[in-house]
Amino acid sequence: MPEAIGLNHYLLLGAILFVCGAVCMATKRNAIGVLMGVELVLNGATVNFVAFAHFNPAFAVEGQVFALFVIVMAAAEAAIALAIVLNFYNNHLTVDVDTAEELKG
Amino acid sequence: MLDFASKPGLLFVVATLLPLASFVLILVAFAIRTALRSSPEGSIGQQLYQASGGDVPSRWPAWLATAAIGLAFVCSATGFVWFLDDHKQIESLEEEARHGKASDRELAHEKLKELEAHWVGSIDWVRLGASDDPRQGLALQLGFRIDHLSAIMFLMVTLVATLIHLFSLGYMAEEKQLHVEDHQVHGEEGHYRRRGRFGRFFLFLSLFCFSMLNLVLADNLFQVFVSWELVGICSYLLIGFYFERSSASNAANKAFITNRIGDAGFVIGLMIVWTYFGTFNFQELFSRVRAPVQDSHGEKLDLAAQIVRGNVTGEGKGKKIIFDPQGPEVLLFPRQRGHFHAEWITPGGDQDVRDDPKERQFGHMPYWLLVAAGLGIFLGCVGKSAQFPLHVWLPDAMEGPTPVSALIHAATMVAAGVYLVGRCFPLFTAEVLLVIAYTGGITLFVAATIAVVMRDIKRVLAYSTVSQLGYMMLALGVGGWVAGLFHLLTHAFFKALLFLGSGAVIYGCHHEQDLLKMGGLYPKMKITALTMLMAVLAISGIPGFSGWYSKDVIVAQAMGFASVHPEHVLLFLLPLVTAGLTTFYMFRMWLLAFAGEPRDHHVYEHAHEAPGIMTGPLVVLAVFSVGVAWGWPFFSSAFPFIDSESSWLEHQLHHAQPDAVQASFGLNKAEWEAARDGRLSGQYFGKPPIGPELAELEKQKKERYWAEEYSHLAGNLALGVVIIGLVFAFALYYYRVLDPAEGEAQFPGIARFLTHKWYFDELYSALIVQPALLVSDWCKNIDTRCIDWLIDNSAAITVRVAEKDGRFDNRVIDGMVNLFATVAYGVGNWFRRWQTGYLRSYVLFLVLAAVGIFVILSYFINATG
Repeated sequence: MPEAIGLNHYLLLGAILFVCGAVCMATKRNAIGVLMGVELVLNGATVNFVAFAHFNPAFAVEGQVFALFVIVMAAAEAAIALAIVLNFYNNHLTVDVDTAEELKG
Repeated sequence: MLDFASKPGLLFVVATLLPLASFVLILVAFAIRTALRSSPEGSIGQQLYQASGGDVPSRWPAWLATAAIGLAFVCSATGFVWFLDDHKQIESLEEEARHGKASDRELAHEKLKELEAHWVGSIDWVRLGASDDPRQGLALQLGFRIDHLSAIMFLMVTLVATLIHLFSLGYMAEEKQLHVEDHQVHGEEGHYRRRGRFGRFFLFLSLFCFSMLNLVLADNLFQVFVSWELVGICSYLLIGFYFERSSASNAANKAFITNRIGDAGFVIGLMIVWTYFGTFNFQELFSRVRAPVQDSHGEKLDLAAQIVRGNVTGEGKGKKIIFDPQGPEVLLFPRQRGHFHAEWITPGGDQDVRDDPKERQFGHMPYWLLVAAGLGIFLGCVGKSAQFPLHVWLPDAMEGPTPVSALIHAATMVAAGVYLVGRCFPLFTAEVLLVIAYTGGITLFVAATIAVVMRDIKRVLAYSTVSQLGYMMLALGVGGWVAGLFHLLTHAFFKALLFLGSGAVIYGCHHEQDLLKMGGLYPKMKITALTMLMAVLAISGIPGFSGWYSKDVIVAQAMGFASVHPEHVLLFLLPLVTAGLTTFYMFRMWLLAFAGEPRDHHVYEHAHEAPGIMTGPLVVLAVFSVGVAWGWPFFSSAFPFIDSESSWLEHQLHHAQPDAVQASFGLNKAEWEAARDGRLSGQYFGKPPIGPELAELEKQKKERYWAEEYSHLAGNLALGVVIIGLVFAFALYYYRVLDPAEGEAQFPGIARFLTHKWYFDELYSALIVQPALLVSDWCKNIDTRCIDWLIDNSAAITVRVAEKDGRFDNRVIDGMVNLFATVAYGVGNWFRRWQTGYLRSYVLFLVLAAVGIFVILSYFINATG
């Protein structure tokens, strides 16, 4: 019998999202792609918060609030990151993150 | 500005400051020119230097200095006339204040105060202690106080100095050249050549004149001391004027060092005075040591103007001094007299004293310290006035240019010691005065005997100066206060004349100073010879000449002293015998130089009279040497020439005589008779004494009374001795009845003793110089052997230790520091590889780290839960 959808499913979804995001960040050379990966990671985390808020009454409010925080932060982060990317493009005429290696040891 | 009408004493201050202004101007000009001289070739500085005369010695300093001292003379002459006029008013006012109507007395007192304020003034120079209230705390002051003595001294110093400046214009003419050859200094290429030093000579003369005038002007001991040292340094600079000659620089050192010995005594005296009196002002000092002459009611004190001694008993506020003429303590009178009663100070009585007296309280000090202070101050005078045993520097000081010998070493500076003894007379106790008298007595005789055999014309005069200064000291010591200072004044003129005359002779004979090479110079230099003859007659004490007046009173005073104290008869015999010796050696000098046949034809043929700028001062000085002691107005006495008591100058000096002289040596004849008739002011309150008072007065017939009583006898005795000396001089050196060389051969011991100047130099050499050298040698050996050895070895040890230390430092310490650095570098290098710069690898690390953290966390969660 198919199991009712519970906390573990959500956590699994969050984990898949996190891993997808992390893989995306690690593999993409396009800065925009990396940004997308970051969004995925954040969304994975948000799913977790919401899931806990739903299944654990102790976190009913806090989970929701944290999810909102993460969304706001993601928006702010995206704005800054896009600005960085734009500047990067102005200087290097590309958005390939592998060209940003001047600070390597 | 300078308000001469309300303070005519400032005339003397101006006279003092004029030479200082000249000194400063010349010095500044020299400093600027010296700075310009070293500027590079062709620069503006060098051009300015060349435009202002270049290397040629400039002449304007001479004119400036001469003008300054001449103007100073004019100032002091004006001041002197003004002072005499004021003094006449003061005398009549005093008479009125004493005997006039009550209403007039007040007025007279006020006028008196106003007139007396004309001639004193002072400012605080250095105030000691924090208080701003000028009445509290101690202060060193600069001030002036003019009395007859200082006014006359001013006149004498400025006049003689002006004449000597003029004379120097001629005598030092050689120094005007760009190159001067010094024939007495031999360099590698013949004679030593240097630039002329015309300006420098007058620079020093100006400083000297300022110092001397300041010394006379001063109203306190400290100002005197400052000038005293300034005078000393001027003397040093001028004796060493030809400092390339080793004899001159040695003589300068000798003079300076010998004077330091005296000054050490002076400083001790100053310290004692400062400790017990807290002031250096002469008037304050004297009024604290000596009892007042009369009290607030005009009653005469029994111990008037005496030093009051006694025994101190009790403690703290109950402290008392019981009067006793032989007591070990001296009563110090209050700083402020206020109301003073004669009964407070009566023989055999007592008086409350304090250890730290306030304004109106009596104090006390040990008698022996007062004696020590007196001896200390006198020791300073011994050095400065070249008295035995510190007289050795003066003859050597003749290495300086002759005008300097005339100005410093005859007329003025050496007289400063005599002047100071006269000034400080009230501070001197009977013992000190006796020491002064004997010092003078020994000096005058020793120096005169040496002068008899000297061959150098300037040395004869030098020893004669020492001898005459001895006369002055002797006179002061035996109570002839006026006599000593009177002789100081007359001596200044004829000794300056003698020196300038000898300068003219030396100049005329091309720097030949040996008397035995002169002779027969009279036809060649008549003015010099005749003017010097005047001086010789004056110093010998021929009646009518100035020296006769002063020397007669000295001999008379000595006779009066010897008649009261027969045990001190030597103090009379020495000056009497020396009077003959003086005549003998002075005439010997004159006859050897000017009379007879020329002994050295080379000198004779080249001899010539000095130019007018030099003979002029000689003539002026000759006039003064003859007539400075005459009576004035000229016919005021019946026999102006043959009565030695008719001198106007001597009478003027009487006004300045401190009361202490009367207290120590009794009244003179005129004062005694005035006291007997009830006329003597301040004493016996204007009533003729009766009965026991008369008997008391009879006891006052002491030294000064008998000195006058015997004055004619003493004068005749002295004249007799002088004639004997004269006869001998002519017999030996003019008529050649006796041959001086034979005399020397007869008494070889005495002759050698005298030509070696009583072996003083040898004695000091053996007693002081040789032991000092021995000790220095010894110290030198200790220094080179022990101290240097220690230092050398410790240095070597230090070097060795340092080497070891260096090696340790290089290897161990540096090694450790390097090790740390290497390790840190390696670690850093290894970590560097992880910093790839690829975002992906960072993300990989991030993920791996996150996974790692999860693994660890899950391990912990499993372990705990």
